[in-house]
Amino acid sequence: MTHKTGQLPINDSAAVQLSVRQWLCALGLSFGLAWLLPEAWTAFEPFEPVQHYRVPYELSEDYWLYERWLDQIPPDVISVVGDSVVWGEYTAHDGTLSRFLGDATGMPFANAGINGLYPLALWGLVEHHGSALAKRRVLLHCNLLWMSDPEADMQLAKEQVFNHPALVPQFAPRIPCYRGDIDMRLARALERRLEPLSWVRHLQQTYFSQKSAPEWTLADDGKFPPAYPNTYRLPVGIPLSSELPSVKRGLSSERHKPWSANQSGKANMEWVTPENSLQWLAFRRLANRLQGSGSNLLVVVGPLNEHIMNDATLEKYQVFLTAVTAWLSVEGIRFVVPEVLPSDEFADASHPLTEGYERLAKRLVADPVFKTWLAQ
Amino acid sequence: MLFHTWTFFIFFIVTIVVFWALRPTRFWLHWILLASAVFYGWWHPYYLLLVFYSTALDYFIVSWMERGPRLAKLGWRFSASVVVLVGAVVVGLMAPGGWGGLAAAVGFFAVVLAVGHWLCSRRAWLWVSIINNLSVLVFFKYAGFAIENLNTLLARLGAGQLPSAESLMPPGWEYVLPVGISFYTFQSMSYTIDFYRGIIAREPSFVRFAAFVTFFPQLVAGPIERAKNLLPQFSKTPRVTLADVSDGASLFLVGLFKKVVLANYLGPYVDRVYGDVATQGGAALALATFAFGWQIYFDFSGYTDMARGVARCMGFRLMLNFRNPYLAVSLADFWSRWHISLSTWFRDYVYIPLGGSRVGRIKLWRNLLITFVVSGLWHGAAWTFLIWGMLHGLGLIANRGLEQAAWWRDRCPRLAKRLVVFAFVCFAWVFFRAESLGQAVEILQRIFTTGWTDPRMPLLLLLLVVSVWVYQFVYESPLRSWLEKPPVKVGLAVVMILWMLLFAPGGGEPFIYFQF
Repeated sequence: MTHKTGQLPINDSAAVQLSVRQWLCALGLSFGLAWLLPEAWTAFEPFEPVQHYRVPYELSEDYWLYERWLDQIPPDVISVVGDSVVWGEYTAHDGTLSRFLGDATGMPFANAGINGLYPLALWGLVEHHGSALAKRRVLLHCNLLWMSDPEADMQLAKEQVFNHPALVPQFAPRIPCYRGDIDMRLARALERRLEPLSWVRHLQQTYFSQKSAPEWTLADDGKFPPAYPNTYRLPVGIPLSSELPSVKRGLSSERHKPWSANQSGKANMEWVTPENSLQWLAFRRLANRLQGSGSNLLVVVGPLNEHIMNDATLEKYQVFLTAVTAWLSVEGIRFVVPEVLPSDEFADASHPLTEGYERLAKRLVADPVFKTWLAQ
Repeated sequence: MLFHTWTFFIFFIVTIVVFWALRPTRFWLHWILLASAVFYGWWHPYYLLLVFYSTALDYFIVSWMERGPRLAKLGWRFSASVVVLVGAVVVGLMAPGGWGGLAAAVGFFAVVLAVGHWLCSRRAWLWVSIINNLSVLVFFKYAGFAIENLNTLLARLGAGQLPSAESLMPPGWEYVLPVGISFYTFQSMSYTIDFYRGIIAREPSFVRFAAFVTFFPQLVAGPIERAKNLLPQFSKTPRVTLADVSDGASLFLVGLFKKVVLANYLGPYVDRVYGDVATQGGAALALATFAFGWQIYFDFSGYTDMARGVARCMGFRLMLNFRNPYLAVSLADFWSRWHISLSTWFRDYVYIPLGGSRVGRIKLWRNLLITFVVSGLWHGAAWTFLIWGMLHGLGLIANRGLEQAAWWRDRCPRLAKRLVVFAFVCFAWVFFRAESLGQAVEILQRIFTTGWTDPRMPLLLLLLVVSVWVYQFVYESPLRSWLEKPPVKVGLAVVMILWMLLFAPGGGEPFIYFQF
């Protein structure tokens, strides 16, 4: 007996069956449109940042907006890059370091920080969404608090939920507390390389409550019994050009008070070693990346709230700080280590209050390294 | 590994590039086998043991079968075999240290094989194959259900309880349903049965036969291929043309769209309504049932399209498994369009051996009912699946009666017939989707007795489903040529690609049919 190929139907499932030429047309059209749509969208969606603008808290993961913001910063404006210390966790948008640096120098500074960042994510942000920072003056803030214990340094093996997972290195260096499966990692690695996908995230962040459009139409209101407010509703966007007023930030906010009002005792921080620190490794890569792309870089290290640290912690901090400054010197990167601020100008271990930012700006402006850098 | 994940994308790129490179050599078949093992082992490496057992068993059984006479007198030897078999299982179960289950299984399979050699006829080997394959399937799929029901009965009689299926697993081994076991078991069994019937020749190469059973595109959710279709394709170096690749990519695109955009959008709505039946109104329950009908269609046919697309890119042609089932004008028509590879399997290996349609009316009804009840149970070990199968069996009997009435056959518009069939299929889906019989009855009660409440079904979702339905209507109408115009096809492909890019939710939801 010999085998015979079965004659079963294969093409009658209503599938859209394209020839090679039709495939080429479809792919060309699809990818052409996908790349054109974000560009066209900028004409449709107004974005006119207010004075002392920063990316709104609600849109912290909207990296397409961040890129758009960087693109709008004029070349002569100095970008201040960093985490929530630069962004201003406790202050209003006009109470941040960039605003006071502008006041103190008479030169324009832009807040290019994002809330919730840390060096591992900051590296990803600049690497994939910070091309506009090349060949410009950049003030990069180094927050050593991320190296103050293994958990903050993301070294613990226990799974941890953290902000901006799409920005961290997905495969190397390995982050022990990051447990995304391989699909998620690949999707995230791809998203930050393809602009249309970043734009899709922008739409999701801005119009669909951080969900895809279909998920948004099905979302409940989180109450019991649940209601489904979006079933028949059209999306309404979050304002991009200015923040919504928030009771959580600014001089009148309840959170805007010295750290000692909440915490009396001193903290013990374990500190990791510079050789083993993932965050410090990421920061070094970030600084090298910025310098390599032709940015005129100045690193501001700290200040941390030393008033909160006990003696043992302070000692370890100084060791780490020495290693940081040594590395910056070796790399030829200009840096400033400002004097610590008064205790009542810190809201917590690293974030200054509005008056702290003002004092910090004045101290920076008085620093000879800063002056030289600014004069260039 | 799911088709709609990046992991599969990378796996497929590597697999197909190496496959194309190896085609001029004889190692392309080994490569397919290796790729299939990686694909399947990705879920759980121990699944590989089962699929390897099933494959090796049927391969060797057919070679032993080839040597034996077609029939042999059994007489007392059959009774003796049954006694030894039962004895081996009982002795095995008494093994200490939690190894009783494994010892009983090993004893059972060893005796079954020994009996096969002792009886040494084609028919005996056929039964050895069927018993072996079904035993594995029954243990992993139905043991829990059977033991639970038997224990309920024993408790009522005041008798002792049977051990749970989990307790029969070796220490440290988890009792989980191996993905796709129903699919590859049926595929492997069909080879043995077809050989016994003289439909196909014995496959001399183990690698080729193993590649046929484990071929990764269709291993976990079909189509359940027949040896006479797929094995010959593995006998010669596959010719892959550009047209194959474009056709395969087209099938994959449509399947991906069905799964990622449609099924994954419908799923959460269905889960929401079916997850809280007591507070839902009739409209929501009816719409959720309608949505489930489409969800399972998009999910399963999407998988099949992707499987066929992947195979096609490698030059292989898998059988059609779905043909617009919700356009069926009768239930018989529905089953010639829905999960075609399974319905034809049951037709060829259950319905026809029972006598098929060439018997009296009562026997015909019996044959239909048996076939569909077994088909229902194939889908899962629960009373709801059994009732679902039975409903389809009864529906087919009623439909045959209707077809004999002139008003239905000649005067009833096709559209009306289609809607009636669709409504019946949706009615049966209630049992398929419900968690229990009680919940199914409650859903039906509420659909017909509660007043109007807003079903809160997103309009976008409804619009998408209706668009696909209209597309299918047009596809099976004289306007079909319009859909086949190049600009329309390109336009549809662009819409699908952009929709997936812009609106598809993240997350790799598993396919519904993997659980079967």
